[in-house]
Amino acid sequence: MNAASVTVLPRRTPPSILVVETDVRIRCLVSDALRALDFKVLEASSADDALTVLEAMRIDLLFVALDLSGGRSALDVARLVRTRRMPTRIILASDGVLAKTVADDFGPVLRKPYETSQVVELVIRALNWPEVPGASRGTWPVEPR
Amino acid sequence: MSTTSTNVTLRADTPFPTILVVEDEVLIRLVIADYLRDCGYKVHEAVSGEEAIAILQAPEVSIDVVFSDVEMPGSMDGFALARWVRANKPGLEVILTSGIERSADIAATLCEAGPLMKKPYSSQDVVDRLRQLAAKARRS
Repeated sequence: MNAASVTVLPRRTPPSILVVETDVRIRCLVSDALRALDFKVLEASSADDALTVLEAMRIDLLFVALDLSGGRSALDVARLVRTRRMPTRIILASDGVLAKTVADDFGPVLRKPYETSQVVELVIRALNWPEVPGASRGTWPVEPR
Repeated sequence: MSTTSTNVTLRADTPFPTILVVEDEVLIRLVIADYLRDCGYKVHEAVSGEEAIAILQAPEVSIDVVFSDVEMPGSMDGFALARWVRANKPGLEVILTSGIERSADIAATLCEAGPLMKKPYSSQDVVDRLRQLAAKARRS
């Protein structure tokens, strides 16, 4: 097959995003901002809940805070995605302590406190949805701010 | 925001009120929240009574109906949440759901929004209950 025979069709269904954050108000704000762009957004408050969701359905992007409470950590969730080779992009949110050590392994790290607009911008670039004219998939992962 | 403006009651002129779904089982919560959004409702999610109160007290959020499970981990179950709503957000509608039969009598004393919904419930049953609430609001 030569390159000319390949037709890239536009995606018909919005990508699904799993927002994992212990603080309900932050989770609510981020999820609302993403839903406003017609993303399908699922919410989890812990690593255990996130793992349950990831086992149950396809997630296109995982946005997970590193400072989750509970037994398992956000890194456990990110590792599951990587070890199972799930087609899931990852964006981490951190207070900065672990940022440098994990950024190369999993994806960009957004430093807390962040604006919801920063999350939205990263997600749009990661998923190319809504399609950004001239955007290149080759630029992912982007440099964290 | 003033107390008056946060005490949002189910408005007769609003076809799709904002719902707060309170459920600790993540997959149950996702399914019902997703279904309600597909039906046109704006939905917020909480995993516990404590999270529900945090959302109800958030100035940037207005809730019309609380749809809550009774059995939840933590210090506040659905009954305690309903009591908190009655004391702090009078007029806010609460629908409770439970898989435990004996919960029905207690729920009847706490909810103006009809009897307890038995688990497992169908998503459409929840929408029907919300529509009944809206119809009731239009009549009053």
